[in-house]
Amino acid sequence: MRFIDELSTSLRNIRRQKLRSSLTILAVVIGATSVTIMLALVTSAKSFFYNQYKTTGQLEQVIVTRETDLDYRQAQYAGGGNDLGTKLTDDLAQRINTIPHVTGVAKTAQPYVFDHLVSGSTTLAIKSARADDTNGVIVHSMLAGRDFTSRDRAGVLLVSRSYADKLGYDGRYDRLVGHPVVLVTQPFFTGEGAQLQPPVMDRRRPSPNEQTPTQLQATILGVVDDDDQALYFTLQWATGLLTSRHYEMSGPPGTQPQPSLISQSDLDQRGYSTLVVRADRASDVNGVAKAIRGLGVGAATAQSYVKKQLQTFDILSYVLGGIGGIALAVAALGVINTMVMAILERTREIGIMRACGATRAGVRRLFTLEASFLGFWGGVFGVGVGFGLTRIANVLVNAQLTHNSLKARDIIGLPMWLALTVIGATTVIGMLAGLYPAHRAARLDPVEALRYE
Amino acid sequence: MSGATEISAQRAESSPASPPAGATAAPAATSPARTEEVAVAGRALIELHRVTKTYRLGDEIVHALDDVSVAIRRSEFVAICGPSGSGKSTLANIIGGLDTPDEGAVVIGGTDLSRVRDKPLSAYRNHHVGFVFQSFNLQPHDTALENVMTPLVFARVTRKERRARARACLEAVGLGDRLRHKPAQLSGGQRQRVAIARALAHRPSIIIADEPTGNLDSARGAEIIKLLVRLNEKQGITLLVITHDEGIASQADRIVEIHDGRLTERPS
Repeated sequence: MRFIDELSTSLRNIRRQKLRSSLTILAVVIGATSVTIMLALVTSAKSFFYNQYKTTGQLEQVIVTRETDLDYRQAQYAGGGNDLGTKLTDDLAQRINTIPHVTGVAKTAQPYVFDHLVSGSTTLAIKSARADDTNGVIVHSMLAGRDFTSRDRAGVLLVSRSYADKLGYDGRYDRLVGHPVVLVTQPFFTGEGAQLQPPVMDRRRPSPNEQTPTQLQATILGVVDDDDQALYFTLQWATGLLTSRHYEMSGPPGTQPQPSLISQSDLDQRGYSTLVVRADRASDVNGVAKAIRGLGVGAATAQSYVKKQLQTFDILSYVLGGIGGIALAVAALGVINTMVMAILERTREIGIMRACGATRAGVRRLFTLEASFLGFWGGVFGVGVGFGLTRIANVLVNAQLTHNSLKARDIIGLPMWLALTVIGATTVIGMLAGLYPAHRAARLDPVEALRYE
Repeated sequence: MSGATEISAQRAESSPASPPAGATAAPAATSPARTEEVAVAGRALIELHRVTKTYRLGDEIVHALDDVSVAIRRSEFVAICGPSGSGKSTLANIIGGLDTPDEGAVVIGGTDLSRVRDKPLSAYRNHHVGFVFQSFNLQPHDTALENVMTPLVFARVTRKERRARARACLEAVGLGDRLRHKPAQLSGGQRQRVAIARALAHRPSIIIADEPTGNLDSARGAEIIKLLVRLNEKQGITLLVITHDEGIASQADRIVEIHDGRLTERPS
């Protein structure tokens, strides 16, 4: 029997039993849909996670820390506020810049000088402040407004989405762009912008240690897609903010001491929180990190972190795919049942085929093919339904994103490879489910089959 | 299906070739050349040597065929008679390759088919044997044309050619105007004629008809037998008819009778 005839005969046999075939295919559709949806969700989440790192250039980045045992996430929040290891200095940054495949180094700091922020009638505590070089190495994922440029200095900041929500701009992030705020410092703040009182000899007046909080005017440039309640500053501004200043009375011996302003940079003294190094390509990152570690500092890459996280997504996909697979297993039982029934009903037909020259192998192939088609069509329709559901989900998610002034994007996707894999898997499951009934059909004694009533 | 074209010494229109794969040559004909030589010399087309077939029915062993030997020449019309359960159908099924003997040899055109595997046996049925059953055994959901095409599908004949051949066979049995009719739309006689057309479609050298008139009235039965005899006479197809009907048996060249699995011959 030619393959084309086997195909057409199998399809015709499926069409002959419309209701039963439809119900069996429906069972496969349910299984295929559940597998499709679950894997589409995990795949989309995985892709979304990966793209977050890719679009912000983090896959080409190495984070340098004083500590040598931090992973990427820990390194992102490293404060550098201890005396362990090697201090992260401008000199070190320059040395790293000379390592092959390094295209840029950005310094970061944590200007913990602010107490709270005032926006109109709202006052919010400032728990996390970060300052980054604006040389283009560090890219923020913006929801509204713009990222820092090299022209930005003092008086500008970015706020995280979470902070913007707290400010009452949930879903209206565009309105926060250009919004003026007042940053109120800690009482001990003596950095750039603080009004320092020259020392007086009068003991009744407050000493410099009793410096009052300073209010700094700033403009919000944009909103960063970040769950942490963080504010972002330029490193240039942070450098000034992290400069301790005080007056000292000094003068030549025998003369009246005069107050002179003494400035001391915290960053010079303690070093930067981290250095963010950008490599040529993602494939160069590990080599660059190794070279940096040779300098006695820690070097964490997003790649190893992302790889671990992607493995977690893979495990999740196995688990969810397995849950969906249970539905497919039930559908496979349906296919077996349908085929066993079909063989019982068509026993005489099998006898006629055998009398007309069909081989056992030919009969086996015919029934296996028929079961495979049940799986195939179930897979095709299941993927179709799954695709439809992902479209609907995207419409709903996009509506919510648009409502929140966020850019609509199809978060849940159904990649072609997934669709083809599900169809292929259901076809193979159908085929496997058909093996036993097909074997039974092939083993029928043609004489007995022809007598079957 | 390649193997079957090779028992070609038996086919009315075919040329000689080697035995089917898996088949063992009979003692008298050990090579293709020898097969042809023997066939040309008039050797029997069908030879059964001491064939035994037993069935188990519960604890009882039934000897359907008990040490049966018979030789049937090419183009011969043989009637197989005997009471119910005597072993007639078993004999026909073994000759037709639907069944295999427990012991003995079934030699067709010099090739022993008694021990061959499924594939060459199926190929033998597909290329050399046409079956006509008492209950017609047509596919009820297929048209007359599709039913007749069935053996050609298994013979890997192209769609176009099998349609042409099936149409020609239906026209040969007088059903050229019933091509699209399904069995339920045909009378009993017409159904049996469709079955005969199906048996003819692959141009067999042997037609085995098991009680072909059993489900027909006498007039329709006579027509069917007339048709089969004509095929035997005009096309030289070897015809084996299992029947209880003495009228049909009397038209045969030979009559073999089976009683309790043992075969005897009587003059027609």
